Amino acid sequence: MNVPNMHRRAFLRKSALMSAVLGTAGPWALNLAAMSEAAAQTASDYKALVCVFLVGGNDYGNTLIPYDNTNYNLYQSIRGQLAYPQSALAGTVLTPRIALPDARQMALAPELAPLVPLFNAGNMGVVLNVGPLVEPTTLTQYFNNSVLLPPNLFSHIDQQTFWQSSNPNGATSGWGGRIEDLMMSGNGNSMFSGMSVSGNAVFLSGNTASQFDIGTSGPVLLRETSQPLFGSMTCARTMQTLATQARANVLENAVTGMMQKAITGNASLSTAISGVPALKTQFDQTNSLATQLQMVAKLIAARGALGVKRQVFFVSLGGFDNHTMLMEQHPGLLTKVANAISSFYNATVELGVANQVTSFTASEFGRTLSPNGDGSDHGWGSHHFVVGGAVQGQSFYGTLPVTAVGGPDDVGQGRLLPSTAVDQLAASLASWLGVSASNMSTVLPYSGNFNLNTLNIFANQTTASIPAT
Amino acid sequence: MALSQTEPEQTLRHETPPAPSTTLQENDNNSDSAALGVGFLSAALLSACGGNGNSAGSPAVVSADLARSQKAAVVAPLSANDASRFLSQAAFGGNDTDIAAVQSQGAAAWLQNQFSVATDQPNWAWMMSQGFNSVADVETTDGIDNSLWRKLMASPDTVRQRISLALSEIFVVSLEDLPMPWRNFAAAAYMDLLAANAFGNFRSLLQAVTLSPAMGVYLGTKGNEKEDPATGREADENYAREVMQLFTIGLNMLNNDGSVASGAGGKPIPTFTPTMVTQLAQVFTGWNFANSAAAVPTSLQAPMVLNASLHSTSAKSFLGATIAAGTDGNAALKIALDTLFNHPNLPPFFGRQLIQRMVSSNPSPAYISRVAAAFISGNGGLRGDMKSVISAVLTDPEAQTSITGLSNSAGKLREPVIRLAQWARTFKAVSASGKWAVGDTTNPSLKLGQSPLRSPTVFNFFSPGFVPPNNVLGNPALVAPELQITTEATVIGYANFLQTAINGQLADLTPDYSIETAMASNPANLFNRLNTLLAGGQLSSATATLIQNAINTIPITSTNGALNRVKAAIMMIMCGPEYIVQK
Repeated sequence: MNVPNMHRRAFLRKSALMSAVLGTAGPWALNLAAMSEAAAQTASDYKALVCVFLVGGNDYGNTLIPYDNTNYNLYQSIRGQLAYPQSALAGTVLTPRIALPDARQMALAPELAPLVPLFNAGNMGVVLNVGPLVEPTTLTQYFNNSVLLPPNLFSHIDQQTFWQSSNPNGATSGWGGRIEDLMMSGNGNSMFSGMSVSGNAVFLSGNTASQFDIGTSGPVLLRETSQPLFGSMTCARTMQTLATQARANVLENAVTGMMQKAITGNASLSTAISGVPALKTQFDQTNSLATQLQMVAKLIAARGALGVKRQVFFVSLGGFDNHTMLMEQHPGLLTKVANAISSFYNATVELGVANQVTSFTASEFGRTLSPNGDGSDHGWGSHHFVVGGAVQGQSFYGTLPVTAVGGPDDVGQGRLLPSTAVDQLAASLASWLGVSASNMSTVLPYSGNFNLNTLNIFANQTTASIPAT
Repeated sequence: MALSQTEPEQTLRHETPPAPSTTLQENDNNSDSAALGVGFLSAALLSACGGNGNSAGSPAVVSADLARSQKAAVVAPLSANDASRFLSQAAFGGNDTDIAAVQSQGAAAWLQNQFSVATDQPNWAWMMSQGFNSVADVETTDGIDNSLWRKLMASPDTVRQRISLALSEIFVVSLEDLPMPWRNFAAAAYMDLLAANAFGNFRSLLQAVTLSPAMGVYLGTKGNEKEDPATGREADENYAREVMQLFTIGLNMLNNDGSVASGAGGKPIPTFTPTMVTQLAQVFTGWNFANSAAAVPTSLQAPMVLNASLHSTSAKSFLGATIAAGTDGNAALKIALDTLFNHPNLPPFFGRQLIQRMVSSNPSPAYISRVAAAFISGNGGLRGDMKSVISAVLTDPEAQTSITGLSNSAGKLREPVIRLAQWARTFKAVSASGKWAVGDTTNPSLKLGQSPLRSPTVFNFFSPGFVPPNNVLGNPALVAPELQITTEATVIGYANFLQTAINGQLADLTPDYSIETAMASNPANLFNRLNTLLAGGQLSSATATLIQNAINTIPITSTNGALNRVKAAIMMIMCGPEYIVQK
C-alpha cells in the first residue's frame, strides 16, 4: 500500500491561522504576555521528568509483541524472519490490572525482562500506539489529506524535532524547555532546570530556559580556573577573560557566552555533586544509556545543593534505525534500554525519590510491521514506556492496534496511525510535573485539539481538555 | 532543513594593498589598519583592485574596478595575514612554507596547484602496512582513527584532505553504526574514495558513494532485494531517502541562490513524496559486495556489483523520471543518479553546504548563486566540475572580503577537528612512532566532541540549518551549524584537550616550536607571528595587549621560560573567540 503525500502545505497554511488564534507574532513564537499572566509554578517538593530518547525509530513490532495465539500467529505471518518464537515470549507476558479487550495478551521482547518486575509492581505502564499528531486523525482523514499532519512524517530529523517540540526541523524550543520556562523561577539555580547528558537536544530548550549539557564523566573544570597556564596565573586569567568576554560578532559572542556559562555551571555542579554520597546502585559501565542515567541519578542526588525543585532531563541511545539486521541489532539495544531503566529506577528508590521521578521512552517514529528483508522501514506510531513510583503502572494506556497489514490502523506496511498523540502523553507528564491546565497550550501548542484526560497515567490528574471532535 | 537567509548588505572595499611582507615577524596584524589585502577572483579573472584604503565602493565604482581588473591581469600579492586566512578556508591553516607559497603564487594559482599535489599513503594501504589487518582487528575499529588523523594532520595534499573531510560530513558514513567485519577497512576505503573523487566530477562522486561498500552497509543498499508482492515485503528505503534528503536535493525546492522556493500560498514545495522514496528504493536493489578471497576483502575497496536476479524489474517513476519495467539494474542506476545529478536543486543545495564547511555559515544569496553557477557550468560548461565549485567557493569576493568589510554575523566557527589539525600542521607536529595514535576524539567533556568519520548519525555532527536556541544570535534567520556541538561540556573539553596537545602530551605528537621560542623574549613579535599563523591576523589590538602582557609575566629566564611563553600564547589564542570564529 502506498503512503500518500504529506500535508506540509496545508499544515503551514493553517499554522498561520493558529498563530492568529494564539495571538503570536509568528508561527513558532509563543505569546510571552500570555505566559506572564500565568503564575510562575512553584512547589515545595521535588519532581523530575526524564526523557529517554531512542534515536533512529524504535521498532514497535518487536518491542511489545502479541502473545495470545490468534494475534501471535498474525504477527508471525507478517514478520516472517523478524518474528520471535512464541516460546521465547513466555517469560515476559504482561498481566495488566485491567485485562486487554478481546482476550488479547501482549509480551515484552525477551530482552526487556528486567522491566517486567517494574510493570508488575505498578511502577511502569505502556503507552500504546503514540505518535506525533497535530489534530485527531482517522485513517480516512489521513488518506484524504483532510486534516493537518506533522510535516515530513517519515524523516528522522523532522520527526525527532516534532516529538520533542511539536514543531518541524528548525524549531528552537521543545516542550521540556517550555515546561521549564514556567517552572524554573521556582528553582534556586535555574541554570540546571533542564539537563542533557546527550548533547544538544531541542527538547530541553525553552524560550527563556536553556539546557545544560554534561558528559557521563560528570562536571568538567577548565584548568585555568584553578591552575596557572604554563606557569602563569596571569595567563590563566587572560585565557579565561578572552574566552568569556562579550563580543560584537554574534558567533563569537555565542561561543564566549557558552564558555562563561560552562565555567560557572560546571563549578557549581562539581561542588554540589562532590557533597553527596556516591550511589550504591550499580550501572553497567559498558552501556552508554546506563552511564547517562547514572549521571542523571547523581544530579538528582545533588538536587538539594543545586537548589532545584523541578527538572527535566534528556538522555538517548542510538542505533534504532534498523533497516537491516534487525534481529542482530535490536535485541541488544533493548537489553541496554531495560538494564539502564531498571538500574535508574533502583537508584531513585535508593535516593528516596522513586515517586518523584518519572521516566518515559520516546523515539522519532515506530517502524513498519512488514519487513523489507532483514529489517523494517520508517513508521509512525509506536509503543513507549512510562516508569516511576507515581505512575499508576501495571497498565496499558491508549488503544491497542489491530495486528494487521492493511488493517484499520495501518497507513502502509504496518506503519501505525497513532491513536494517542504525543501531546496527550506530554500533557500528562507536564501536568504531573505541575503545569496547570491553563498553561498547557503554551507548553504544547496543539494540545487543545485533544482530550487530555484519557490516559490516566497518574492519579488525580485534571488537565485542560476539549472534547475530541 | 534549508532556511531562507537574508544577509546584511556587504560593501566590497578596495583597499590599498600593503607592501608584501617577507617575514612573518613584521607587525602585520589587523589592529586598526584597514589595509589588509585585496579581493581577488578566480584564475580566469585576475584582479588588481585599486583605489584608496577607506573609500567605500559604490556599485558604479566597484563595477568599473572589476572591468579594469579583468583587463589588467595583474595579481597584487597577498599579505601574510590574508594568505593565512585563505589557508584557513581552503586547508587547515598552514606553516611558514604554506603561507609563503600562497603569497608567491597567489591564492588562485596556489589552489590550482593544490589540485595536482600528490597525496601520501592512502588510508587502506597505510593500515595494511601497519598491521591493522590481523585477525584480532576484524570486528574492531583499530587503525582507522590513526590513519584519519595522520591524513588530517600531515598529508601533503592539504586542500584535498580538507575537501575530503567536508565531503565526509555531507555524504556521511559513520563508524558508530557500521556493523560489518573489517569496518575499519571499509571506512578507510570510503575516505580514500572521497579523496580520490574530491577534484573530479560530482556525478562520479555520487556514483562512487552510492556503490561504496561502506555506504552500502551504512544506509542499506548492500543486499537490498527487490520487492516481493507475495509477502508484501518492500525494498529497504534508507538510501533512497537519504540520497535525496541529505546528499543531493534536500526536502524543499530551492532557488539558485539557496532560498526556499515559494509555491502556492507562499509555502515551500516538497522535492519528493514518500511514494517516490519507495520507487527510488527499488532502483537500489540487487547490489552487494563482490566476492573476495583476501583475508581483508579487497572487495571493500571496489564498487558493489549487481546481481540481476535480485534487482527489481518493476516500472519506477520519481522526480519526473521513469524507468521502464524490466530495465537492467545498471541502466536503472544511471537513470536515477543522472536524475539526481541534473536536478535544479543540486547546485545550490551542495554549493551552500560547501560554503558552510569552508568559509561562512550564512553566505549571501548572491554568493550561493555564484557557486551554484560554477556547479552548473564551470570549466567550460561542464556540470558538476568539483574544481570549479571549490574555486568558486574559495575565491569568491565574499570569501575574501577583509575583516573590516564584514558584518557582525560573518564567518563560521572552526570545527574542533579542524582546529586540532591546524595546530598540528602549523607547528609541524610529528608522531615519532608513525602511529598517529590520536584516537577517537568524540568524548565531549574530555576531548573534542567530534571525531572524523564518527558522526552520531547520518545527519553529521551538526545540521546545515541549526539555529541555536534562545535567539542567541539575535536574528532568527541566522544559522550556525557548529554551535550544535558547542555546549557546556565541549567548550571546556576542547580547551583542556587542546592544552594537552599543545604541551606535547597527545599521543607521541611532538610539535616544533623552535621558531617561536627563538622570538619569545619579545612578546609582541611572538604574538604577531602566532596571530598571523593561526588567526590570519584577525586578533584585535586589545587582545594583543592582553596576551602580550600576560606572556610577559612568564620570566624568559625561568626553566623552559621561552617554551612556556609560546605554549601559553598558543593556548590563549586558540581558546579565544576571535580564533574560534574564522572570518
